[in-house]
Amino acid sequence: MTKTVTLVVRRHYAFPPERVFDAWLDPALAGKFLFATPDGIMLKVEIDPRVGGTFLITERRGDRDDEHRGTYLEIDRPRRLVFSFGDDRAFDATTVTVDIAPAGDGCDLTLTHTGVEPQWESQTNAGWTGILEGLDAALR
Amino acid sequence: MLTDTHLDRTLTALADPTRRAILQRLSLGETRISDLARPFDMTLTGVSKHIRVLEAAELVRRRKAGREQLLTLNPEPMDAARAWMDAQRAAWTARLDALDAALRAQDAEGVAR
Repeated sequence: MTKTVTLVVRRHYAFPPERVFDAWLDPALAGKFLFATPDGIMLKVEIDPRVGGTFLITERRGDRDDEHRGTYLEIDRPRRLVFSFGDDRAFDATTVTVDIAPAGDGCDLTLTHTGVEPQWESQTNAGWTGILEGLDAALR
Repeated sequence: MLTDTHLDRTLTALADPTRRAILQRLSLGETRISDLARPFDMTLTGVSKHIRVLEAAELVRRRKAGREQLLTLNPEPMDAARAWMDAQRAAWTARLDALDAALRAQDAEGVAR
């Protein structure tokens, strides 16, 4: 079994699910929130919004260009969007799942970022949650 | 500066329930290896293997007192791993906040038009 580490972030929006969903695939909006940093300059936002399609978001941060690349794995408007995401930091391959459910005056978004590290595959199976619990338990 | 190798070692060490239990036990204070093996229903050899993984990750420090081997917890690598995870979480939280701001800005433009 592949070992994964998972990070979950939730947020409520006072906007209908369709608008929140579409923002992820609209280059004008995606360029404003996805991989944008306050001091960065967005150079390029290329989105091919179909399953198997790719995205490339390039932002200039100081004297270097940060490239974020990925492939859309699942597009189920307005409920679910899944894409792979290349992160040069600690993961070789990560998957981001965006789940959107109607709630109150708008919708709730749950983002799950799952990383897979090949060198961990031989180890015993444990989730990010388990590791976090371990951190807390061990520090207590 | 936290390197990926350090982070890998820390997370790998923490990914095993027995090793987490050992760290939990050590969080109560310095412990003899022989005392550590008892509650885990393991041989000293089995526990030693886990301790070596924890030592490689610098989560555990060992010292000798006469014939006894004593272990203490070093929480620093855990703090570093937690900081890394917090940074990841903060990045996504900021992006999701920016999404809200972008949608609000879009509405404001629509009204102004």
